[in-house]
This record gives sequence, C-alpha cells and structure tokens, in this order.
Amino acid sequence: MSITIKLPRPRLRTRRSLDATTEPDVERGILSPHDRRRTPVRVGQVISHIVLMGGLLVVGLGPLLWLAKSAISTTQDTIQYPLQFWPSGIDWANLEQAWVDVEVGKYFFNTIALALGQWVIGLVIATTGAYVLSILRPAYARVLQGAILATLFVPSVVLLVPLFITVARPAFGPSLLNNYLGVWLPTAANAFNILIVKRFFDSLPQEVFEAARTDGAGTVRMFWSIVLPMSRPILGVVSVFIVIASLKDYLWPKLVLTVPDVQPLGVRLPNIQSQTELDVTLAALAIATIIPVVLFLAFQRLILRGAGLGGAVKG
Amino acid sequence: MTVLDERRAVEQRLRPRQTGPRRRDRSIRGWVRRGGLVTLLFALPMILVFTVYSWWPILQSIWMSFQKTNLITYQFVGLDNFVNVLSDPLLGRAVVNTLYFALLALVFGFPLPILMAVLMSEVKRMKGLYSALAYLPVIVPPVVAVLLWKFFYSASPTGVFNTILGVLGIPPQPWIQDATQAMPSLVLEATWAAAGGSIIIYLAALLAVPPELYDAAEVDGASIWRKIWHVTLPQLRGVIFVMLILQVIATAQVFLEPYLFTGGGPNNATVTVLLLIYRYAFENSLGGKYGEATALSVMLALFLAAASFLYFKATEKWSTD
Amino acid sequence: MKSPTKVIAIAAAFATVASLAACSTGGSADGKIELRVATFPPGADQAAYDAFATQEAQFEKKYPNIDIIGVEYEWEGPTFTAQLAAGSLPDVFTVPFTDAKTLLENGQLADVTEEIKALGYEDKFNPIILDAVKDSKGHLFGFPRQAYALGLQYNRQLFEQAGLDPDSPPTTWDQVREYAKQISEKTGKAGYATMTQNNTGGWQLTAQAASRGGFLQSDDGTTSTIANDGVKATLQYFHDLRWDDNSMGDNFLLDWGSINQEFAAGNIGMYTSGSDLYTALVRDFSLDPAVYGLTTIPMEDGGKVLGGGDIAVLPPSLDADTKAAAVKWVDWYYMQKLLNKDAAVADAKALSDSGQAVGTPVLPVLDQATYEESLTWIEPYVNVPRDQMQGFIDGIFEQTPVGEPKSHTQEIYALLDPIVQAVLTDRNADIDALLAQADKDAQALIGG
Repeated sequence: MSITIKLPRPRLRTRRSLDATTEPDVERGILSPHDRRRTPVRVGQVISHIVLMGGLLVVGLGPLLWLAKSAISTTQDTIQYPLQFWPSGIDWANLEQAWVDVEVGKYFFNTIALALGQWVIGLVIATTGAYVLSILRPAYARVLQGAILATLFVPSVVLLVPLFITVARPAFGPSLLNNYLGVWLPTAANAFNILIVKRFFDSLPQEVFEAARTDGAGTVRMFWSIVLPMSRPILGVVSVFIVIASLKDYLWPKLVLTVPDVQPLGVRLPNIQSQTELDVTLAALAIATIIPVVLFLAFQRLILRGAGLGGAVKG
Repeated sequence: MTVLDERRAVEQRLRPRQTGPRRRDRSIRGWVRRGGLVTLLFALPMILVFTVYSWWPILQSIWMSFQKTNLITYQFVGLDNFVNVLSDPLLGRAVVNTLYFALLALVFGFPLPILMAVLMSEVKRMKGLYSALAYLPVIVPPVVAVLLWKFFYSASPTGVFNTILGVLGIPPQPWIQDATQAMPSLVLEATWAAAGGSIIIYLAALLAVPPELYDAAEVDGASIWRKIWHVTLPQLRGVIFVMLILQVIATAQVFLEPYLFTGGGPNNATVTVLLLIYRYAFENSLGGKYGEATALSVMLALFLAAASFLYFKATEKWSTD
Repeated sequence: MKSPTKVIAIAAAFATVASLAACSTGGSADGKIELRVATFPPGADQAAYDAFATQEAQFEKKYPNIDIIGVEYEWEGPTFTAQLAAGSLPDVFTVPFTDAKTLLENGQLADVTEEIKALGYEDKFNPIILDAVKDSKGHLFGFPRQAYALGLQYNRQLFEQAGLDPDSPPTTWDQVREYAKQISEKTGKAGYATMTQNNTGGWQLTAQAASRGGFLQSDDGTTSTIANDGVKATLQYFHDLRWDDNSMGDNFLLDWGSINQEFAAGNIGMYTSGSDLYTALVRDFSLDPAVYGLTTIPMEDGGKVLGGGDIAVLPPSLDADTKAAAVKWVDWYYMQKLLNKDAAVADAKALSDSGQAVGTPVLPVLDQATYEESLTWIEPYVNVPRDQMQGFIDGIFEQTPVGEPKSHTQEIYALLDPIVQAVLTDRNADIDALLAQADKDAQALIGG
C-alpha cells in the first residue's frame, strides 16, 4: 500500500514570515506608512493597543493570576469574595499541605519523569526515523513513508481500545499497565514529528553528506556529528511539541497508569479535587501550572515559532 | 518455499539493474557492507513502535468491531456491534451534541482569533508581549483549565463569573448546571484554551502576505477596509480553510471538557461521541462493550479520515499556490 | 523512590525494546499453589499490611500447600476493566453488589454454586443478599461478605444552626422536606441534596423510590417497571424541593465523591447514601466526626430499604486447584469473621489498632441472630460514635430490605441519571414523558 501525499515543503514564505515576527519593522502590513500618519489610523492604533492589552491581560493572564492568588488564600476568602484583589491573609500552608499531605510533590516528579522519558524516546524515534527516510533512503523507504503517512489519517480515538489492549496484554512480554513505557512507546509512534524532522533533513544541503561520505564518515558518525548538530532548530521545535504534548495529555496516561503512585499530576488532579478542600485543590492546580508556564517563559520564542508552523503541522 | 525463493531469484535477475555506477553485490554480506544493516538498525525503532502501537492496533480495531468480547473470550458477531451502536438512543444525542459543540466552537472561536491577529499584526510595538499573553492559556494543562473554570462556573450568586455578572447588573446564571447553557459554557472554556494557538498561526500567515499586493491595491486607491477585504482575507483563505478542517477534526474528538465539567449532563446535554466511546469501553459495561466501542470508533474514524484527507489536500494546495 | 513500580518504570525507559522481549511468568517450582489475592487499595497504611501479613502466615500454616500473594486492589470501573484487559486481576477480589450482575452477565465471574453448597452455609445467607450473586438460573457467582442499607446522612451542626434537634432526625419524607427548607432558609446551605452523576443519580433515585414502594423491575428482572408511582413521587419531590422550596442548593452535578466532599465541607444538610459511609467520610473526606448523623430513610406505602454491599469473587479462568485454594481463602479470610468469634475479634482488633472504623452500622450478610451475636463479640473495639447513628441503628431492623434491580443494573442507573438532572435543572421537565422514554429504553436493554 503506498499512499502518495506530498507534505507541504518548508516554505520560504513561512521562514521569512517567522523571522519577521522578531523584526516587525522590516515588513509592512495592511497599513502603509502613509496610512500610519493619518489621524484616524493613529487613534485606531491607540484603541487597538488598549483593546489588545486590556483584553489579553484580563483573558490570558487574568485566570492564572487569580489562580496564583487563590492558591495562597483561605477557602473562605475564595468562596465569599472571589474577586477581591488582595487576600485578607496569606495562607502559605495551602501550598505545603498540597505538596506534602496531598502528595502533589510525588505527582509533580512523576509528571517530570513522564515528560523527560517522552522527550528522549520521542526524539530518538523522530530523528532516527527521519534520518532513514530522508537521508539513508533504503529501497523500502518509500513503502515505509507511505505506511507512516497513512497513520495520520487514522485519528487517535479509533486506537483507544485496541491500543489499550495491546499495552495491557502485549503479544509477548509483561503488561505495560502502570509502566511509563506504556505511555512513552505509543505516543512516540507520532508520524507528525517524524515528518517535520524529515522535511527539515530534506532541506539540508546534500553536498555536506557527499563530502562526509568521501571522508569516510560512517552512517552513525554522519548522524551524530553532522545531521544532528545541523538540526538544532527543528530539534528544538519538536522537543517543545513532545514535552508540551506530554504535559497536556490526559486520557491515555489515565487509562494506562491506574495506580496513583505512578500517575502524573494532570491525571491525579480530578481525584484530588474531589477529595480535598478547595484552597488546597487550587494550590495543587497552581503547582501543576508552574512547569508549563516556566517552560513557556524560558522557550517563548521557540514555542511561538513552533506554534506558527501549526497550520501545517498540528494534528 | 523453495519454489517461491527460486521465483524471486529469477525475478531479481530479470529486474533492470539499478542506476548505480557499478555492479552491486547482491549477497547479504554485500548488503551489510553497503550499510544496509546499519540503515535497518536506524529504521528499527520507528518500525517497531509503529508496528506494535499503530499498524497492529489499527488492524485489531477493525477486527474487534466485529467481535463480542468480555476481554476473556472473543466471539464473531458480524455487524451486531454496529447495529447496537446505531440503535443506541444516546448516539443521535451524542452526534447532535458534538456537531453543536463544533458549531459553537466556530462561532466563538473562529472570527475572534482572525480579528485579534489582524490587530496584532498592525500594531507596531509590543507584538511579542501580545503574542505571549495570547498564547498563555494554551500552555495551561487542559485538566487544570477545566477544573479552574469549573470553579469559575459555580452557579451560586457568589461564584466567580456570577459575581462579575452581578457587577454588570446581570442576575446569576446556572452555567454548566443547566441543559441549555452547559454546552456554550464548555465551548467558552475550550475557546479560551485554544484561541491563542489560532492567533499565532494567523499572525504567521498574515506576515506572509506579500507586501506588493498592498502596494498595488494602494496604487488603485484602496482604503484600509478594501485592502482587508480584497487583499488580506483572500490571502488568508487557504489558512482559514485549513484551520476550519483542523477545528472540525479536533471538535469531533472532544472529550475532556464534557468528561470533567459535566460528565455528559445535565440531562445528556453534553454527551459527545468520544464520551460515548469511553463509556462503552471503560464504564457501565465493565469490559462487556469493547466491540461497540471499537465499532463506533471505526465509524468516527472514517469521518475523521475524510476530514484529514481534505486537510492534506488543502495544506498541499495552500503551500504550493 | 518509594514505589517499586516507579523505579521499574524509570529503569525500563532505558531498556526500551529489550524489555519487551523479557517475559516473566513465575511457575511454582515447589508444587505449591500460588494464589494472588486482593488486599487493599493503593496507599493503604503499613498497619493494614502488617495485619494482613499475620493473617497470611496463619492461613499458610493451616494450608501449607497454598502460597498467598497479596495484590493491591481497588474497585473502580475503569481500573477493573484495565486489569481485566491486562489479565492482571487477582484470583480473589471483591466487587460491589451494583456491578456484580453486569459481571456475571458478561461471563466475567466464576460459578461457585457447588463450592458454597459444600461449605454448608448457603441457607445461612440473608436471601436478599444472596440474590445479588444469583443469575437467572439460580447459579451463584460469589460470596457476599459485607452489606449495608441506605440511610439518611445528616449534618448535626447544620441542624443546630437551623434550630432543629439533631437527636430527633426526620422520620417522614414530609418532615425531611420541612427540615430541608428550614436549613436552607436559616443557613443558606443546601438543606437536601441527591447524587446525579456517574450512575449514582439512578442509584439514589432507585433507593428513594423503593422507600415509597416503587421498584424498577419485576421480581424476575424481565420487565421494566420504571414509570411507577414511587419513582414519579420521588422525582416530583425533587422538583418541589428544588423549584418551590429552593432548598437543594445550586450544584446539581454530584456523584458519590463530590456529594461527600460537599457534605464534609458543611454545605449539605441531608442526603441518602450507604450506612457504612462514616468510615470513608472521616478517612477520605476529613469530616469532623462530631457533626455526623445517620438515620433511616423514611418509608411510605409499603416501601423497602435498598441494600448494597460487596462480594468476594473469582475470575472464571482459574484451573480447578487454584479455584479450590481460592475458595479456601475466601472462606477463611472473609466468611469466618462473620461466623466465628475468634476470627471476628481478631479482625476487629486489627482494624481498631490501625485506626480504622469499627462498628459502622451494616446489614447482616447472614441471619440477624448471628449478626447480633457478632456485635457483642466486637463490642470492646467499637470506635465510631454509634449514639449519633442511633436513629439508624434503632430503625433499620423494622425496615424490609430489598436488592438492587436484577438485570443490567448499571445501565438502568445510567438511563436514570439524566432524568434526575433534568428535574433538578429544568423547572418544566416533563417527568411522565421522561420516565416513559426511560422505561422503553430499559425494556429494550433487558429484553435485548
């Protein structure tokens, strides 16, 4: 079975436009420099700023600030005066109680372990796979690529039940229930990540590989010392995809990790919410938000660049 | 075996030589020497993972949709599972609800990101800050977002949203506690959680509009509105279409919001197709309805595969025109 | 790194493919029968495990050819399904009455009719309770080991704040309504609440309808009788409390856990749930024991009290030897403490030593005489405030217990959830039409 679908090539236009995000003044948009000098447009600009700033602060940041505040407020404060700007007393004990008594700490580290493993395995599969499909190109590469592309047409939901049985009762080997491999391996079978990396590898200059081969570099050397170092940008983007996907995943880890001891925070939160007091629950929610927000602040440009590719990439 | 092997050998001999510069050694040793083994080793992780966790389960799901099972024994039942699913009184409700979710998601979540992206692309300063703020909700783990909003949606007069409404002089609303308001409430949260991603994509697409087109329009004396109407939107047509299909694919699989907000209630107002699959497989029947669950999955998959196919055609077109 | 599972999981990450091939099946080299038995939910405290180890040693001494292996186990629909799919269910585990019918209809439980007969206590069981493990042909699929009746839980503190006497809880549904209204008006909390989600809405509707003499199915479980007067009266009652009195608060999406949470937080005056709920309320939901009150559900028009409980069962796939060993374990571990003084005392002592509740009111699994005698055995270890449960303890034996609907229990409950939600969230919900539809759907399930 060979399905021939051409994935969009990496477009120069996209590249340029992404660079443009960082240097907005190079390009012009709808408004011409002439437009910008007109008074109504200037007023419009000011209004736009106000709308954007106000709207985005309230809608984007507001709920998170509220969560941060409530995490250190008492339940009474939160319920009776939900919109009070400043809590009547700061209740740091919430965070401690959430971290220790509700064992959020344990789930927090589970979350990190799950994401790190996901990252390592996902990257290994995506890069080695793309290397084979794009650069090594054995005779069977076409068939393989077709088969991998075909999986893009099958939505993950159809696999829910059979995949669950595959993981729970493999044809050979022990059950992967309550084993992180049961989450890592199925999520590593991600055609999108392989194909984005492959598209990037496709765009690398072939001469470099020719030269390396002439110099006697083997397949492994070439992969490790040439291809990977040249691919840092795309590896960054894919890493971000994998880690964020892992932090956001809910249904699959919930099904595979049935024992609370190994569950990540995301899976555990609904149970925590139904058994603990409101202020501690909110503190737990706040803690669960910290990792992704810190990641976002640290890798903001990379993440936004990856998100911009989303039109061609998201699945 | 031997006959087959012979035939294969003959075929290989007859096959035209590959366009390599020199004759290739066809023995296994030669294959290994040329790096075939190493290549295979590189391909192996991918092949294994896809075989075990993608291709095999796909085949298995087709097989299982014709089986009745209690997870201990399996029995072929023909089309029974499909018949059972199609005659389930909840299915119609779930399909309608899912379509309603999709429709609301379009109404709430489609024009706004385009508008925001246009505004953001035209302001000169603080674009980075705006992008970051807009994208922030996308970063929040969905479970956190849903549980947080569930609290915001408290129907009590002192609930967060009801307090805000109170300031505006609007009486408290039941939000997710009411069959008519529940779905819009879910969509509102889902839109909050996803809009940032759309904004960033539109922003990228807007910056890719060739400036010459605007220059040309200005030569023709076009106003700002005419430029938006005749240049910007037509240029965004491709990405808008892609986003539309992506949204249909995503909303057809909506699960988390109804599962955590309302459990499908009140009065089944938020039961979605995926929630129904989850219930078949993992709730009430305790493993007795895996067949039904896969049958419904397969039907949903056919629909989604068609949508994905459109998506690919569209991205291909969008990227080449 | 406390949990071995986690260590394994992380170590396994780096073993990747190789670990897939590693197959581990333990055979019993010394001819002993390995028996994997359910112990406690994950996260149980060490004391519970210590007590179990002692019991394990006692059992193995008595039956030297059986090797007991304790396995963490917790009943929860999706988890159970997962373990079933993984083939990792223990050889002996427990399930609630509510789900037993579904499991035996699915063919997921072993037939133990012969074994129960051989042990000779078939006639000692309370027949209503034995019904929960019986299929339509009269075969038995498990050992009922613990039962409860539904009772009316109430918050003594809210009673006091509303000017009600917490020592004289309501005895009729009209009184419940009156009290609920008073609580709502005086305290602003929900005077009365009922579960609505994850099939618990149907469960509690069934219980409250039964107290008004309305039952969901004919006695043989072949005909749906959902649209009966008891169910209608119950829904009308919800409607009146919700829309006329406004005494049911503003959250109508509650299941077993969330209603307990709201109750423990002091937001609910009264609701119906199992008579053994105290244990979970105090242990898992941090309820202040002083505010807890329990009485019987009011009965009207030949009403009966719905019972529930759990059952020790075996999977159907056991070979003859393992099955025989499993039955020995069930008898020794679960049943003897109901029949035998020494076993009962040892169990109560172990529980109270590890700080678990002893003496929550239950329904007798066996006959009432045996039950009352067993209560005197464990008297010294009782550690729950039974005086706050006096209403229930005094009244329960005057009520007639009834079992849950016989066929497709959970699916029928699932059909009723939305109806309860509709009545509580839509003032104009048409109760008759909703019930007529549910009756039709239920009949289709039962007949099909």
